[in-house]
Amino acid sequence: MSLIKKSSQQVKPFDKERDIHPFAIPFLWLGNKKVIKNFIWIPFSGLILMILIGLLYPQKHPAPWDVIPGSWALIGFFSYCLIVLCAKPLTSLLAQPEDYYGEGGLLDPEFSVENMVDEND
Amino acid sequence: MIDFLQINPGIWLILSGLICTIIPHTPFTQLYRKCLVVCAPIFTAFMITQIFTSDIAIGGLISIAGIELTTLRIDNLSMVWGYLFCLIGILNGIYGLHEKCKITDSAALIYSGAAVAGVLSGDLLTLFLFWELTAISSVFLVWRGGEHAYAAGVRYLALHVLSGVILLIGAVIHAKFNGGSYAFNHIGLQNLGGWLILLAIGIKCGFPFLHMWMQDAYPKASITGTVILSAFTTKMAIYTLARGYVGTDILIYIGAVMTCFPVFFALVENDLRRVLSFSLNNQLGFMVCGIGIGTELAINGVVGQVFVHVIFKSLLFMSIGAVIYRVGTAKASELGGLFRSMPITALFCLIGAGSIAAFPLLAAFVTKAMIISSVIYEAHHNSVLYLIAAMLLFASAGVMEHSGIKVPYFTFFSHDSGRRVKEAPWNMLVAMGLAASLCIFLAFPWGGYQMLYNLLPYEANYKPYTVDHVVFQLQLLFAAITAFCLLKKSGLYPAEKRSEILDFDWFYRKCGFDLLKSINLGWNTLDAKISNITRSAYGSVNKCLYGVFSPIGSFSKAAPSGLASVMTAAMLILVLIIVYFVR
Amino acid sequence: MNLMSIFSQWIIEQGPAFLIVLPLLMGAVTAVIPNKGMAWWITFFVTIICTYTAFSLFQHVYFDSFLLYTMGGWNPPHGISLIVDGLSAPILLLISVMAVLTVIYALPASISEIEPKKRAPFYAAFLICFAGLMGMVITGDAFNVFVFLEVSSISTYALVAMGAARDRRSLAAAYNYLIMGSIGATFFVIGLGFLFMETGTLNMAEMSDILSELDGGSRVSKVGYGFIIVGLGLKIAMFPLHTWLPRAYAYAPTKITIFLASTATKAAIYLLLRFTFTVFDPSFDYIAIMLKYLIMGVAIVGMAFASFQAIFQSDVRRVLAYSSVAQVGYILLGIGIATSSGLAAGYLHLLNHAVIKGCLFISVGAFWYRFGITRVNDFSGLFKTMPLTMGAFTLGGLSLIGVPFTAGFVSKVKLILAAAEQDMWWAVLVIVFSSVLAIVYIGRIILFAYFGTPPKINGSILVKNEAPLMMLFPMWTLGLMSIAIGVNAFGIGDSFVSASEIAASVLLGERG
Repeated sequence: MSLIKKSSQQVKPFDKERDIHPFAIPFLWLGNKKVIKNFIWIPFSGLILMILIGLLYPQKHPAPWDVIPGSWALIGFFSYCLIVLCAKPLTSLLAQPEDYYGEGGLLDPEFSVENMVDEND
Repeated sequence: MIDFLQINPGIWLILSGLICTIIPHTPFTQLYRKCLVVCAPIFTAFMITQIFTSDIAIGGLISIAGIELTTLRIDNLSMVWGYLFCLIGILNGIYGLHEKCKITDSAALIYSGAAVAGVLSGDLLTLFLFWELTAISSVFLVWRGGEHAYAAGVRYLALHVLSGVILLIGAVIHAKFNGGSYAFNHIGLQNLGGWLILLAIGIKCGFPFLHMWMQDAYPKASITGTVILSAFTTKMAIYTLARGYVGTDILIYIGAVMTCFPVFFALVENDLRRVLSFSLNNQLGFMVCGIGIGTELAINGVVGQVFVHVIFKSLLFMSIGAVIYRVGTAKASELGGLFRSMPITALFCLIGAGSIAAFPLLAAFVTKAMIISSVIYEAHHNSVLYLIAAMLLFASAGVMEHSGIKVPYFTFFSHDSGRRVKEAPWNMLVAMGLAASLCIFLAFPWGGYQMLYNLLPYEANYKPYTVDHVVFQLQLLFAAITAFCLLKKSGLYPAEKRSEILDFDWFYRKCGFDLLKSINLGWNTLDAKISNITRSAYGSVNKCLYGVFSPIGSFSKAAPSGLASVMTAAMLILVLIIVYFVR
Repeated sequence: MNLMSIFSQWIIEQGPAFLIVLPLLMGAVTAVIPNKGMAWWITFFVTIICTYTAFSLFQHVYFDSFLLYTMGGWNPPHGISLIVDGLSAPILLLISVMAVLTVIYALPASISEIEPKKRAPFYAAFLICFAGLMGMVITGDAFNVFVFLEVSSISTYALVAMGAARDRRSLAAAYNYLIMGSIGATFFVIGLGFLFMETGTLNMAEMSDILSELDGGSRVSKVGYGFIIVGLGLKIAMFPLHTWLPRAYAYAPTKITIFLASTATKAAIYLLLRFTFTVFDPSFDYIAIMLKYLIMGVAIVGMAFASFQAIFQSDVRRVLAYSSVAQVGYILLGIGIATSSGLAAGYLHLLNHAVIKGCLFISVGAFWYRFGITRVNDFSGLFKTMPLTMGAFTLGGLSLIGVPFTAGFVSKVKLILAAAEQDMWWAVLVIVFSSVLAIVYIGRIILFAYFGTPPKINGSILVKNEAPLMMLFPMWTLGLMSIAIGVNAFGIGDSFVSASEIAASVLLGERG
């Protein structure tokens, strides 16, 4: 199958610095530790700004919860947290080894990097 | 002379698919085949423009055994699907240009043709025919995924053929209640037929507990296969819902549940194509819910959502497909940091993710808002719907989580997996580029979204770009991103683990299978005992029969003339007794 | 379609006599001509001309009325008359068409089956047999029936015995056939003697009038009928009297099997119908009882019994021969029901069965011609080596089983309906049961042919070796004909059905 062939071509040692796509070079800062650490300020400031504008321009067809300022932001935040915090119990409840059904799992690469420790992380 | 305008345009696609199957497999004819794959949808779209000249075009009337069939009906509603399927057919064709597989090409053409023909058919029997054809043709795409897809393909085929059979039974019952008319208009739930048809559609568009085939088969199909599959089957089901069940209350609740539950599964799932399948399911929930509301605004929202959804969902599947093509896997645990080597794909994926999460200026914003607004408007009359609206908002945050953040983040950003691969092939980039620019164009505030709205079945006065819409949508999205950053920082965000997440299909894949195995075991022992008895019984009966009738048997021995003469005499005596004495 | 205009009046007027005289005369000529190669051509043209004549007569009867031809201008009851009516015309046509197809098939088949010096006599005997069968069907004089019966039978004994070049057992089979056939003919003529005693005439129409005046007549005519039915029963291969048939069919030259299976028993059944329904009358109480108990009884038992026997045969020709006995059971069942729908169904099955069995025996003959095989086990993988022939065999086999869209289905359904009309559900059950048995014995052969592996000769698999065109043509004609009847293509199915309905109305005296 073509998939296997493709991946077998890539079993050569990577040169992490050299094999970067030219278009990506201007954006390498995205992988910078500091940028990642402080990225939160962008959505957070946007959030504050939108809550403020939301106070000036309220919903034209408000739902009952729209009396609370920044209602959609609260919904978004708590929904998100709820979903993510559900992950742990769900995983322990539903996760099984990959060959659980014995049908052969999904596609796998030639080698795994699952347990690789990345110094940037 | 055949009137070509009386022929359902989907037939042209099916025909070209059949032609594909007979084109021999050489590098040279490969070129012709690929041309056909891209050009056939263009031609089909052209035929639709030729047929659809007034408000409603009806044609291809056939009468079989007293049943009137309307094999072609194009009106405001089905026209959108017709064009959409042609458009996505072209994009898929371009995306698959690199692939040298004849089966994929022919199956894709027949499949898309069946979908087009299905939505453009005007009666339930024609719909049933193409309904089954989509199932049968598409399963080849699943099987192209390799050996591990075989069982999933069989399950997929079984469920879809079952769905078609239920549709047929429902159609027959429905026709009985409607004076024998198989016309496909509003169906509703007045009789058993309506319920059965709803069940059939429910299987196709993944109602809760009927959804498992989607997450089972789609991630296992081939790269192009998944992209093609994701576009047609479920949207065809949405069309039938929009045609037959507008304003059916139960759909509101089904839709709301459908938007919410996949969110949780998508989060813990490791396989990104499966994440996208859950996300597809969740998006379908929005549409089902909108159809249940059934106001003009809601239907407009649903139709618009279908249109843009097909584009950005394909875009997402395409970008993950490109990653699989280069890296060989779509497991989040194996990926990360790929923006360094596949920046263009990453950009397109981000556009797709933004579109599905309904960022302003990107596709879903102009349509999803219509659905949620229609729910809130209706909630003024029925306050239960506020709960539904809240569920939809919750699901919107969920969409942001799994499609907007998880898919691009774990693929292209996150920790650097160290994988350095080539950028996706040019044809994939072209297809993704086209899809991405459509995502932007169809939401463009100055002249873009108006074109989309012109396609909608009802007149659309809705204004998506009002300050409150933009602001509150952005509140939701920014809050979600902020939450993500916070959770990630605090280490509460779960790391991706390689695992198989059990879903409802556990009941038949594991539970049912084990049950069958134990039944089988019991049966085997029982069978062995019974067969011992029957074998001896059969043996003796067989011996008797053989002894009587076989060439060496007593009745088949070459009867000597003398014996035969005696028999003749006996016969004569019998005859004489009868004529003489029987009265 | 009415094609009357294309037939000359002469053919219509003189055709009945022509049908007997021409083959008889040419049979004699064929036997003595010095150029042996001419024999086939003469036979071929005679059968073609007879087919043409029979077809024109059929058209005349179908669209116009029945024909009465007086030999030498002597009117009945003193002269001999020939009758062509709705009952006899289809059988005449059937016999002559089957004769043409058999002759076409015979050209290649003779090469392997008949020694060169015996070929001219063979064709002469064939023509005489043909003339005898035509005469049996067409004549209106009861004694003439006996004469033609003997003419056809004696030539048939000779023809069956010619299989000796291939298989010596054919001599025994022919001898057995001779004995049984002679007993049958003797019984028949004894029966005629009784009838003559009662009525004082040999003309059938006259006999019928006198018998109905006498309201069935005395015990003399009852005994006469008893002898006639047993005598004909032997010729028909009615169930317990069928013992001569499997061997005769299995060991005769293949082309004779084809001809016999599709015509000889059919002509005898015609006589049974003629005597039972037009000379006698089903309203006589002894006829009614005979139909109800004897004919139906042997029909039912024969259907089941012979089907079982067919299942256990190892030789395909014997399978088909026993199946013929079972099919005769179907036809007799239709006759025994004795309503117009029952008679029509029986008559239709008679025509269809001739077509089907012709097709099957021709393809089996082709297998023998190519590979010399007739055993079921040897059919393994035949579909790969002789696909076209096996295809025709499959068509015929499906039709014999009664799969929808085949001739067998049409007549079996009509038979079932006719039985159901009379509330004879047990008969319906037996028909279905016997059809299931047919699935077994035909399916067994077809399974071997399609899924078996072709035999290996010297380590290599046999290459494709199709039957010659001269064999493929008749077998596919008949195979497609059976499908055409089943799907009513070109109106063929309808014309068969209406021919059978007309025959039934003639039998019940509703039509002249």
